[in-house]
Amino acid sequence: MSITTPSSGSSGPTLEVRGVTKRYGERAAVDDLSFVCRPGSVTGFLGPNGAGKSTTLRILTGLAQADAGEALVGGEQFRRLSHPARTIGVMLDARALHGGRTGLETLRLTARTVGMPASRADEVLAQVGLQDAGGKRVGGYSYGMRQRLGIGVALIGDPAVLVLDEPANGLDPEGIRWMRRLLRSFADAGGTVLLSSHQLREVEATVDRLVVISQGRLVREGTLEELTTTSGAGTRVTALDPAALLKALDRHGIAYEQRLGADLEVSLAPEDMGRLALREQLVLTSLGATSGGGLEDLFFALTGGTEQPVGAETANAAAEPAEDAAPSENGASSEPAPAPLR
Amino acid sequence: MRPAIDLRSFLDTRGAAILLTLSVLIIAGFAALGGLIQPAVMPEGTSDVEFTFIVLALPLSLIIPVITVMMVAGEWSDKSIQNTLLQRPGRLAVLTSKVLAAAVVFLALMALSIGLAAAATWVGGDLLGDGAVFSSIEGVLTTQLAIMVATLLFSMAMAILLQSTVIGLVTAIGVPFIISTAGALAMVFGSEVISDLIRAVDLQTAAALLGGGEATAFELLPLLLLVIVPTAFGIRRWNRREVG
Repeated sequence: MSITTPSSGSSGPTLEVRGVTKRYGERAAVDDLSFVCRPGSVTGFLGPNGAGKSTTLRILTGLAQADAGEALVGGEQFRRLSHPARTIGVMLDARALHGGRTGLETLRLTARTVGMPASRADEVLAQVGLQDAGGKRVGGYSYGMRQRLGIGVALIGDPAVLVLDEPANGLDPEGIRWMRRLLRSFADAGGTVLLSSHQLREVEATVDRLVVISQGRLVREGTLEELTTTSGAGTRVTALDPAALLKALDRHGIAYEQRLGADLEVSLAPEDMGRLALREQLVLTSLGATSGGGLEDLFFALTGGTEQPVGAETANAAAEPAEDAAPSENGASSEPAPAPLR
Repeated sequence: MRPAIDLRSFLDTRGAAILLTLSVLIIAGFAALGGLIQPAVMPEGTSDVEFTFIVLALPLSLIIPVITVMMVAGEWSDKSIQNTLLQRPGRLAVLTSKVLAAAVVFLALMALSIGLAAAATWVGGDLLGDGAVFSSIEGVLTTQLAIMVATLLFSMAMAILLQSTVIGLVTAIGVPFIISTAGALAMVFGSEVISDLIRAVDLQTAAALLGGGEATAFELLPLLLLVIVPTAFGIRRWNRREVG
């Protein structure tokens, strides 16, 4: 299976979301949200159900209008792009493909619409691994096949930017691996990728940067490494006299959590824990840095800690938003959104 | 505007292929029914092209709304409007393009219907009966065609306003039926006020009078109420409606 790369070969356009606010009645689906996705990187866009991810992507792609702020693709609003599908490939909902056409007809029609040669359809069909299903009607496709075709539709204009909403949903392990390679090679060739997903392990394996939102507000932005190593990093420590250790920690106001047995996880770097033990005349029997809590811990810490089932966002997004009314995202966590940290 | 794209995107679906095939078969069947049976039931034994077309108008009053609503509003119902607007973000251009594509299909259907009506009339009148009457073709091209255009315009207005295949179809087919039934009842009961109220929304009758050159300014009222106003609201909604 071949891998696509942006046609420009150099750097693609930047995606910018600047102070975007979108209200439905009293509720702010997106609240003064700002972030940037730069060329050459895969940016993961995370948040629980109702966080405002889909609304943000719809605003970015001109399918909804912001009440305040703006979302730009290479400095231009999506609706003002002269050749939108040749600049930015978008896959928001694979179910939006017409079920009465074959896969090949879908791609041929898209190629004709965006001004690409008909041969591009066959090329993309092979690229997304559907060459054997090209003559089958989309209505008979599995969800994973529809996802692949949706990604094919996004790729057909040979864009320099990709915006994908939950692209791994329904894909088999081979498909997920293919998608990961696709996005990686796309970004490595200078393309800009914005990827919204609930599959945290998939995001962890694919993205370079993360934008985490909750209740429409940015709660954390940075590289994957920055965010995962700063979250929950500490020291695991055991002392000969555990009670004395606890007293010492309490006396100095240092946060800790009890682990298995007499193990404690303290919010100090190992060297600081060593110094404290020396000062308090404590004999330590083990001392070591703990790794960061990983993306999953970070996600739940930042977004209020309510575990959401994978795929719930997709089901939520299926509801058709009424005109000028609240869209489907309404399952936000009851916890207040943490203050933005950068 | 790219009506050729919208025309193709409608024609290459399986639903459209089935619908158009059935439509052509029904039109041919009704043309044959009207043209061939006339000599047997008419006292003069002739076959009149306008009468044949009036018989054909029965299925056309269903076929035109179905095709028009599906072409203009169908993508909102099956959600494929999302991909269309991602590839062609100019919403007004997409709408205009769909309206033009629907108009092209309408013209093709009208040409086919008139052709089949004429052929069936000739076969029925000249070959099977005592003569074919083509002098009434002017009535087909004015009054009957005006009624068909009114059906097209109302269907388009409902599709643009409601942006839903099911609701659009129910309205585009149901409202003219209700109005014509109400008009007949008002005539039976002889209420002038009610008759005038119904006339104000009776697009079919207004179109027939306009086509026949007998219309007054009052006949423009149904056009305003049933076509222009809903279309204006529909265009506004089309431009603002969120897709997701």
